[in-house]
Amino acid sequence: MDRSNPLTLNGLRFRYETAESKASGWTVDVANLSLGASEQLLLTGSSGGGKSTLLYLIAGLLDPVEGRVLVGGTDLHSMRGGARDLYRGRNIGMIFQTFNLLHGFSAVENVMAALMFSSLPGREHRGYAVDLLAKLGLSNPDADPDTLSVGQQQRVAVARAVACEPILVLADEPTASLDPELAVTAMDLIQDTCRQRGAALLCTSHDPAMAQRFDRRIALSELGARGASTPNSAPSRSEVAR
Amino acid sequence: MMTDFTIIKRSLRLRLFSTLITALTVAVAVCLMLVLLSLRDASRSAFNRGSGNIQLLLSADSSPMVSVLNAIFYANPPARAVKWPACQELLAKYPVDFAIPIQQGDSYRSFPILATTTQFFSAFQPNGDEKWKLADGEFFKAEFQIVAGASVAKVLGLKTGDSFFITHGISGINDTNEEERASGGDFPTMKAALAQMHRYSKYKIVGVLQPTGTSHDRALFTDLNSAWIVHAHEKRKLKDPTVTQTTAADLAASDQLITGVYVRFKTAPGSSESPALYTAYDDLKRHHPELTVALPGNEIDKLFTIVSNIDEVFVAMAAVVMLSSGIAILLALYNSMEQRRRQVAVLRVLGCSQVRIFGLVITEAALIGVFGALGGLVLSVMVNQIAARILDAKLGLALQPALLGTPTVLILFAAVVLASFAGIIPAVLAYRTTITRSLRPLG
Repeated sequence: MDRSNPLTLNGLRFRYETAESKASGWTVDVANLSLGASEQLLLTGSSGGGKSTLLYLIAGLLDPVEGRVLVGGTDLHSMRGGARDLYRGRNIGMIFQTFNLLHGFSAVENVMAALMFSSLPGREHRGYAVDLLAKLGLSNPDADPDTLSVGQQQRVAVARAVACEPILVLADEPTASLDPELAVTAMDLIQDTCRQRGAALLCTSHDPAMAQRFDRRIALSELGARGASTPNSAPSRSEVAR
Repeated sequence: MMTDFTIIKRSLRLRLFSTLITALTVAVAVCLMLVLLSLRDASRSAFNRGSGNIQLLLSADSSPMVSVLNAIFYANPPARAVKWPACQELLAKYPVDFAIPIQQGDSYRSFPILATTTQFFSAFQPNGDEKWKLADGEFFKAEFQIVAGASVAKVLGLKTGDSFFITHGISGINDTNEEERASGGDFPTMKAALAQMHRYSKYKIVGVLQPTGTSHDRALFTDLNSAWIVHAHEKRKLKDPTVTQTTAADLAASDQLITGVYVRFKTAPGSSESPALYTAYDDLKRHHPELTVALPGNEIDKLFTIVSNIDEVFVAMAAVVMLSSGIAILLALYNSMEQRRRQVAVLRVLGCSQVRIFGLVITEAALIGVFGALGGLVLSVMVNQIAARILDAKLGLALQPALLGTPTVLILFAAVVLASFAGIIPAVLAYRTTITRSLRPLG
């Protein structure tokens, strides 16, 4: 696995197999996109524009119609079944708008659930998860997430996403359900944690206020066959440097 | 450390009520199946135990089956009697090991009394090679002495030295509630009318038997002469009201009535076979149509052939109940899948494969089956004990149901396999969960 090359997309195209989708063209159409080590990229676009779908394609949860997704230099979609799932579990972290914490499991167990698929020895899971939560400011690891504040739940979600030391973190509208003040704190947490752990971050949002937080920002609509974006190439029309 | 088992455990705990109810349905089905099978086996061995070492039964009952049920299992007092001297004469020409006369028809507080000879305790063995054993006292040696079976003594609280009048026929009448009846107590009129107390002499308990696990545990045993004397005395008194005493010397041949004879023939040296048995059986049947000749073993086999059809219906019903419990597991898991789509999707995102998700759901279903099977096993032990007590009290059938053996293991295994099968459809649903749809924000 190549940690210096967290993500490369080539000629990626996807559409859902419905008559409506087929008529309206590609749901996702990305000519080229690359992310360097520890790089953070904001992907903007309107609601329903295919941002989440792109993240699911990158995570290997959907199969593209065309193109390739390389995570850490490995073509994710060339892997099948359990191998792809395990690769995703160990190398990609995901953060969701509504956190999607496991109901009925404590905060630390939510983190340990991610570690089930890591190479870390089982006996070290709990200590590691407790430490990670403490670093992220959660002092009550055995709490039921339902009893935690929204901010604390976000911390658990972030801890779970980075628990396996992924090379890439995908954050799908992570602040969409938070009030503006909490959104700032949440984004600080996500971005700082990814930086500290050396993970690249691909974050989607339709919130204009998020733009200033990222060095690289791309509108999904500009990533089509005409456009291309790599860290080393010249910025596309809509790619705005800081 | 989190394991697949932790996930399954939490899932079951989150739906605790549903889990318990579903496991309970499996438990009831397993229990039903185990109880039916164990009671069937236990009742068969109980019937076999009761006849002990008797090879042939002579009586005047309406059929060999009735004869066995009455004389060995105390189902009803026999309706007809035969003369013991005539029977003795008849049996004298065969190589008989023992011929024990029995007379039934009297009772004490609903428990049957069997009047017999001392040979009943010395030669007849009710259960395999086990001889009668006394828990207290001694076997009867004289007239108006009585020995109580283990269950009777326990239920009625009888002990050596107690004495009482016995009753003609089977009823709840006795010298205690007779007084209650006289004082206006609540007592069934019909039973009271049918009952007739033998007031010639009280009987005294001289011994209490140890349990034998047979029908004889719920009977009382007394000397045959005593039975003849009390009945003869009442007949004599009808003719001459001034008669105050009757002894064995007053007994005529017509007074010496019995309701059956337990017979065993001599065996050939070094063999357990009795060559005379079938010759005597055929001979007695052919030449003495006034007698009912029964081979207890054959009659018990016939009885079980008759009831085995009903038995199979019950077992089939239990199998249907078990199948229903499988459907209950399927429904419970199927209904829970809607709530669990998000959990499945999150686990997939974290790295869990589809096959592993499938396995989690199947294991969860199998665990419900395991809980149900174990619960059913425990439940069946309790139900067996209760059923054995009821059957002992109501029918005098001393059952010793056991749950060991291959059938039990097979039923428990079948319950777990059925539960696992019931998990297949929910597991396929979990396997095919659309992650992208399941992870969408709620609302």
